Amino acid sequence: MFDRILIANRGEIAVRIIGTARRLGISTAIVYSEADADSLAVEMADEAIAIGPSPAAQSYLVIEKIIAAARAAGADAIHPGFGFLSENAAFARALAAENIVFIGPNAAAIEAMGDKIESKKRAAAAGVSTVPGFPGEIDTVARALEISEQIGFPVMIKASAGGGGKGIRVAENRAEVEEGFPAVRAEAKNAFGDDRVFIEKFIRDPRHIEIQVLGDKHGTVVYLGERECSIQRRNQKVIEEAPSPLLEAKTRAAMGEQAAALARSVNYDSAGTVEFVASGVDRSFYFLEMNTRLQVEHPVTEMITGLDLVEQMIRSAAGEKLSFAQKDVTINGWAVESRLYAEDPRRNFLPSIGRLKRYEPPHEGPLGPGIVRLDSGVREGDEISIFYDPMIAKLVTHAPTRREAIATQAMALDRFAIEGIRDNGAFLATIMREPGFLSGEFTTGYIKATFPDGFQGAPLGPRAAEQAIAACAFARSLLARRLAGISAGSKAVFDWAVLAAGMPSMVRVHLAPGRGHAAITFDQAGKEQAFESAWRPGRLLMEATLDGEEFALTLKPLPTGWAVAIAGSSLNVIIATPNEAALRARLPLKAAPDLSRIVLSPMPGLVVSVDAAPGQEVKAGEGLMVVEAMKMQNIIRAERDGVVAKVHVAAGATVAADDPLVELA
Amino acid sequence: MQHILDELEDRRARARLGGGEKRVEAQHAKGKLSARERISLLLDEDSFEEYDMFVEHRCAEFGMAANKIPGDGVVTGQGRINGRLVYVFSKDFTVFGGSLSGAHAAKITKIQDMALRNGAPIIGIFDAGGARIQEGVESLAGYAEIFQRNILASGVVPQISVIMGPCAGGDVYSPAMTDFIFMVRDTSYMYVTGPDVVKTVTNEIVTHEELGGARVHATKSGVADGAFENDIETLLQIRRLVDFLPGSNREKPPARESFDDPDRLEESLDRLIPANPNTPYDMKELIEKIVDEGDFFELSPDYGKNIVIALARMEGETIGVVANQPMVLAGVLDSDASRKAARFVRFCDCFDIPIVTLVDVPGFLPGVKQEYGGLIKHGAKLLFAYGEATVPKVTVITRKAYGGAYDVMSSKHLRGDVNYAWPSAEIAVMGAKGAVEIIFRNEIGEPEKIAERTKEYRDRFANPFVAASLGYLDDVIKPHSTRRRIIRALRTLKNKKLENPWKKHDNIPL
Repeated sequence: MFDRILIANRGEIAVRIIGTARRLGISTAIVYSEADADSLAVEMADEAIAIGPSPAAQSYLVIEKIIAAARAAGADAIHPGFGFLSENAAFARALAAENIVFIGPNAAAIEAMGDKIESKKRAAAAGVSTVPGFPGEIDTVARALEISEQIGFPVMIKASAGGGGKGIRVAENRAEVEEGFPAVRAEAKNAFGDDRVFIEKFIRDPRHIEIQVLGDKHGTVVYLGERECSIQRRNQKVIEEAPSPLLEAKTRAAMGEQAAALARSVNYDSAGTVEFVASGVDRSFYFLEMNTRLQVEHPVTEMITGLDLVEQMIRSAAGEKLSFAQKDVTINGWAVESRLYAEDPRRNFLPSIGRLKRYEPPHEGPLGPGIVRLDSGVREGDEISIFYDPMIAKLVTHAPTRREAIATQAMALDRFAIEGIRDNGAFLATIMREPGFLSGEFTTGYIKATFPDGFQGAPLGPRAAEQAIAACAFARSLLARRLAGISAGSKAVFDWAVLAAGMPSMVRVHLAPGRGHAAITFDQAGKEQAFESAWRPGRLLMEATLDGEEFALTLKPLPTGWAVAIAGSSLNVIIATPNEAALRARLPLKAAPDLSRIVLSPMPGLVVSVDAAPGQEVKAGEGLMVVEAMKMQNIIRAERDGVVAKVHVAAGATVAADDPLVELA
Repeated sequence: MQHILDELEDRRARARLGGGEKRVEAQHAKGKLSARERISLLLDEDSFEEYDMFVEHRCAEFGMAANKIPGDGVVTGQGRINGRLVYVFSKDFTVFGGSLSGAHAAKITKIQDMALRNGAPIIGIFDAGGARIQEGVESLAGYAEIFQRNILASGVVPQISVIMGPCAGGDVYSPAMTDFIFMVRDTSYMYVTGPDVVKTVTNEIVTHEELGGARVHATKSGVADGAFENDIETLLQIRRLVDFLPGSNREKPPARESFDDPDRLEESLDRLIPANPNTPYDMKELIEKIVDEGDFFELSPDYGKNIVIALARMEGETIGVVANQPMVLAGVLDSDASRKAARFVRFCDCFDIPIVTLVDVPGFLPGVKQEYGGLIKHGAKLLFAYGEATVPKVTVITRKAYGGAYDVMSSKHLRGDVNYAWPSAEIAVMGAKGAVEIIFRNEIGEPEKIAERTKEYRDRFANPFVAASLGYLDDVIKPHSTRRRIIRALRTLKNKKLENPWKKHDNIPL
């Protein structure tokens, strides 16, 4: 076994690897860029070695620097994590030349699977089912018909140069091929100046399902069940689970056997993943690609198999034999993982960088019907930087059943409090309650289909509304009792008016002596409900029970009232004295500034170019300027037709989120 | 007897009507509450006792004899805010446009006198058209009587002015002499002379809002200490403010039960200071994480933003926070920031509120505009204010404390009681680069040498230990323990006794 391993990675996966190494009695060294100098991983590792500037191309991706660091640290092996150099065969070979063990598969396997065409050939040769299709060019309708018949309907007719939804048609029968084939060619000619077209099997209700495989240097390969990764946004996985709600034992075994066969064919000797696309209609499945590394979503497999994949990788790399056989692999319960990203789901998931002013993740361990595991590489006060992937943490839950694992996940997400940056927690919490997701019947198009107009928060259910009001009324009563100088040892009754759309209009709070108990009555006729919470003013997260039902929410004080986030919804709640409520009703609502007229910067960034000038007529959707943030150029568009009245910023200016950019007349 | 009681009720009802329902409705339509509605929101329920509701004006000229309304355009009295006594006057725009007559002024001065005698804050709500022109000099005399009492009450009882409508001419000077002015966005404005006169005299065409709206005074002129969204938000925030303040300089500020742990550690503060000394960070995060429950009442948040002033609590007791804000102009001291902070330091000193100063200041702002604008004297105000203050003063230097600004920001030498620094503090005459360019001017052509000298200078001074070795700092503390250490320091200062030499009053560089 190794004495010391170097981790050529950062963030949560580095922390994750250090944890396992420590448990195995292996000391750790880590490399870090300037941006990561104060990171949790650096703090945790036994030794940390600086490898230069923040951009990965000048640090984490420079093979020589990593090798020099390994030498300096006296490491006998390197774990590459995922991303960066994890699937770089040259890196694996360079390490071999230096007599440093690469904790991953052999270089030949990386190479064989790294090439898309090569890997498909290998897969076919190993008896893995691949998407039926004809890769060559097709000239005539007759030939197209012939090929379609061979593949079997439905088929997809696709322009070689296609993209963005253009130049793609699905044909269900011969007639549709006759009509669609020339159409696609014409469209491709027009759109891309290239009329080459190919045909392949169209997969109905596609799902992304992958098999975890594990091999050693002694020819043994096992598969550890599948992961369902269909919940994706722009090809980025968001939620993963294991097992998949689609598969039953027979398909699972077939898929696993194929994956293991492919792995064996390249002498696979580490943890790897074979990705398939599967049809939700008939569970037919086809090979996509193989990832020759640890996957981000590996924890769900760990939870249901009880294995530590990082440990298994280290043992395999050290030449140990797998200590179990395929028949020993059992699947226990259900695991779900959510990826928490620093992005704003309400603004089309734009990245949001900055300091984690508050970072209060849920506690690991038992919660509700399951248990919580958190793979996180940040602490409160850390910076989410522009240089790397904006993933903050992976929240994993495990329970006996899918329903319970999801319920635990929802509870854990409700208890995740973050301030300082935007995060997608509300979006994830919404999906954990969304019937389509709960049903287990979804496709890779789930997010687009479920949120066609983007995400605007979950609809607020009546019970969540009552919980939000109870929480705010309790908070207000606690503060009022203190302000009035009433001793916390005595009882106090408060009658409040509730100002929030579509909710009970009155709430009575009967504070019990002490700080944590109350009785809540909605409206006059409502029944009294017991309320309990250890919350104190100044805390972001409130955990409470109302009428015995547990819930959690975050609440931030506003000048009047609270901004509440509960179960994926957000709302402002004002708990007012009856007099205040009556006076509010007498004042006209102040007209909010017409924000469609003023185009605001959706994020902090740099103005790259300004394409609008005062007096210019613009149509809705027209680009007004380009703002760069996190190396992404974002086109700022007009939300409606109009004439540009004022341009507030010039190219080169730095803008903050919500800064006015352009005003339309 | 019954009919006498009935008549009293009748008269009261008539007085309460003010200018009548129609005018009250007009007030609502403008987004404003009536004078009495405002009081009902400002004070605890049913705590208001009105005085002088039957007062009427004494003017007989210009047909005024027949035009009398009980109360005469202002509602006055006393009541409670969370159980604590305050005096209130609220101008009634529905009665003669809230204009000030001799009788109206006398109602105000009466409660000013009471407040001063009884040691309770005075809150004035303004929504009025200025002097009662029909009364002429009697109205002017009334103003001056109010002004005189504002002056005498200054530093004795807290005085708060809330501008909730027009406030022009003579009306502006009473608020100007009180401790705080708050305004309501879009429905209030204040100026000495209005747009019409401005146009005649200077040919400038401006609207009420452009000349004296809440935005102007809360961001540009600094006249207002805060602006809020509407009448309701404003009055609720005034209640919140009053909770921090003592009734007068004869009593300690109120303490309340704290829900927070005095020993709370904040590990994230160990990572607040960025690696690069020129990268800003938000000083408000530090304030939020060290005060009770993260709750503080910021004053003048949109003016002189390079310095933050706020009222907060530690262990339930009121403190004043003064903090340089690296997010704005690197936290430099300029004229606006100096004046803003100086006035606040003096306010705290008046009312026995300990001052916690958080320092990250690169110096005073250089420039022709600043020098022409009298930076010397404005900067001196803050220096003077800190130096004369005898309340407990606890200082924490987080990063830069350069030059004269180091002295100014509640340094040991200005009788700072407990002075701490974080390990990241740099206490020096100036930044290393600037210092080396002066000391080693003759080596400026040799970048290598300069770099070496700069490193030398930085190693020597870019830390708190030189100052600590001289005793100018009492300790170098870990950022995460800042709350606990400040609280401990404040505990030792509860019985602090320090007096300035007797004088009639000082002569602060105004």
